[in-house]
Amino acid sequence: MSNHIRHLNKCILRYPSYTLPRISVVLQTREYSRPTSFPDFFQNPIFRKEDQAKLIESSELSKIAALPVKPPAVYETSSVYHDPLVNKVINHVMEKGNKQLARNLVEKAFENIKRSQIERYHLATTPEAKAKIELDPKKILHKAIANSKPLLQLQPIKRGGITYQVPGPITEKRSLFLAIKWLLEATYEKERTVHFPKQFAWELLDAANNTGKVVKKKQDLHRQCEANRAYAHYRWQ
Amino acid sequence: MLSRSWRHLARRYSQATTFRTNENSPAQHSEKQEGLFYTMKPELCKQLFSHGGFPKSFMQQTKTFTETAVMVRQPALDLISCIKASDLNQPAIRYVLYGEKGSGKSLTLAHVLHYAHEDGYLIVHVPWVSEWLRRVPRHKEMSNSQTNEGFVDLPLDAAAWLIHFKSQNQTLLKSENLKVSKEYVWSKREKTEAGSPLHTLVEHGINRVKYACDVVDVLIDEIKMLSSSKQCKTFVAIDGFNSFFYPLTRLSTPTKKTVKPDEVTLTTSFLKLTHNDWTNGVIVVTADQLAVPDDHQESFLPRYLLYKKGFDHLDPFVPIEVGRYNEKEFQSCVGYYRDRLWLRGPPEVETELKFTSACNPYRFMEQCAPL
Repeated sequence: MSNHIRHLNKCILRYPSYTLPRISVVLQTREYSRPTSFPDFFQNPIFRKEDQAKLIESSELSKIAALPVKPPAVYETSSVYHDPLVNKVINHVMEKGNKQLARNLVEKAFENIKRSQIERYHLATTPEAKAKIELDPKKILHKAIANSKPLLQLQPIKRGGITYQVPGPITEKRSLFLAIKWLLEATYEKERTVHFPKQFAWELLDAANNTGKVVKKKQDLHRQCEANRAYAHYRWQ
Repeated sequence: MLSRSWRHLARRYSQATTFRTNENSPAQHSEKQEGLFYTMKPELCKQLFSHGGFPKSFMQQTKTFTETAVMVRQPALDLISCIKASDLNQPAIRYVLYGEKGSGKSLTLAHVLHYAHEDGYLIVHVPWVSEWLRRVPRHKEMSNSQTNEGFVDLPLDAAAWLIHFKSQNQTLLKSENLKVSKEYVWSKREKTEAGSPLHTLVEHGINRVKYACDVVDVLIDEIKMLSSSKQCKTFVAIDGFNSFFYPLTRLSTPTKKTVKPDEVTLTTSFLKLTHNDWTNGVIVVTADQLAVPDDHQESFLPRYLLYKKGFDHLDPFVPIEVGRYNEKEFQSCVGYYRDRLWLRGPPEVETELKFTSACNPYRFMEQCAPL
């Protein structure tokens, strides 16, 4: 932190006075304008308490203690609620940098999930049925995304003037991207009168139950990959 | 180490057990129950609050929690003890509830309303003044008043309020000693005889929506007279009272002229009621920032919200501040939310939420929602 303030002071001193107001305006809204001009040797911040504890345990802290560190972004908090996946989803929902709205929408969807699950919980009669109901909306999100992640993908590859849809493995990152994208696509296909949080909540609950549009889409893709297995060798030939 | 874990256990246990009270009658509530939740019976809720009275978010909460539980808080206790101690033969005392947004003014009012209902008061309750003056749905019925020149009637709203009044005072209206003092002639064929019971008047307003506003006006005069003559004791509760004094409403006449609050007949009727020229009554109003538009929400203090006019109108009154949760109330609320599964997660969550919500009841509830 102190590093960052020192760096900031340097910045302000270095610039001629007429650029100062512009900088101060930027500083008010977010700490640094987009791709920051931090030199390469600036370390990424380690903002989670668990990670810090790990560092201390493995006694690597002393190695990086002297290195300058980039300031953490506003969404990188040490709060108990911090969840990288939720953050990811919020960023996918976001349009034109309106993160506030995106976050509100996702949180509202969580609220809807929670309300419906709590009501179901109270309506359930037996303790076994109650135990089955998942109440944590974040867990439901994790489960929904895990259920809608594809394991294979089709790549168009041109051989002899014909484009074949060739099945192949998929990277972890792309499969996560596809899962979130499909969930949101399924949500946007809604009645005009239904609001985003409600529909998103339904989609998440469906996907967590291994039913619904998104899971079907994933299964269709798998089926297509299975059908096209004869083309698989085009991947390397 | 051992003692620490014991202490921790004891704290968890006390949290788990002491957020509820079995004392469900507000008249019996005292400092002992402060910060604890008491449950209202569903049939009572239906009778008192089916046409409004609870904030919308609280209604949603009751649905999710499958019960209606209200926290016993200091302002309500103060108010109830004040009402108990006051001499009803003196002119009606006016109480003004004020506080930040979301601090629980409406729920305090609901708690006191429950007390009044139990204590046999005739209840005159306006759930939310802005519903009349500031909310303009697609079919807002407005007409020029037949009786008062230059005034505007809101017949549908008035009729809805009469239904509310009727359902809140079902039992009292059945008793025979509430009688109309003089004859009212509505049209050539319709009139209400002197000495006919009060509920015929209310029924007339509901059936003939055209006259609803006039009926409300007359009804309020009658109620004042009846309680002054000791036929009944009256409890007046008006939520969002400061809406009557904001310079403009969102209503406009067919000729596009904007309407001032004092040009609405309902306003004049209820302002008559909040004058203290009658006895045997209690008047509780709230001054709420949410009742007026954004440009007049800088402070939550009554003098600012009510303007000079409203302040002079109510003066002298007893101000009662509804504040944020204190430590004990917050802990009991946490216990309640944990019991209802609204709040989950490790105990560190509480300190964080306490900090971010600043112990504001509504914000606390809201911030628990996506967790």
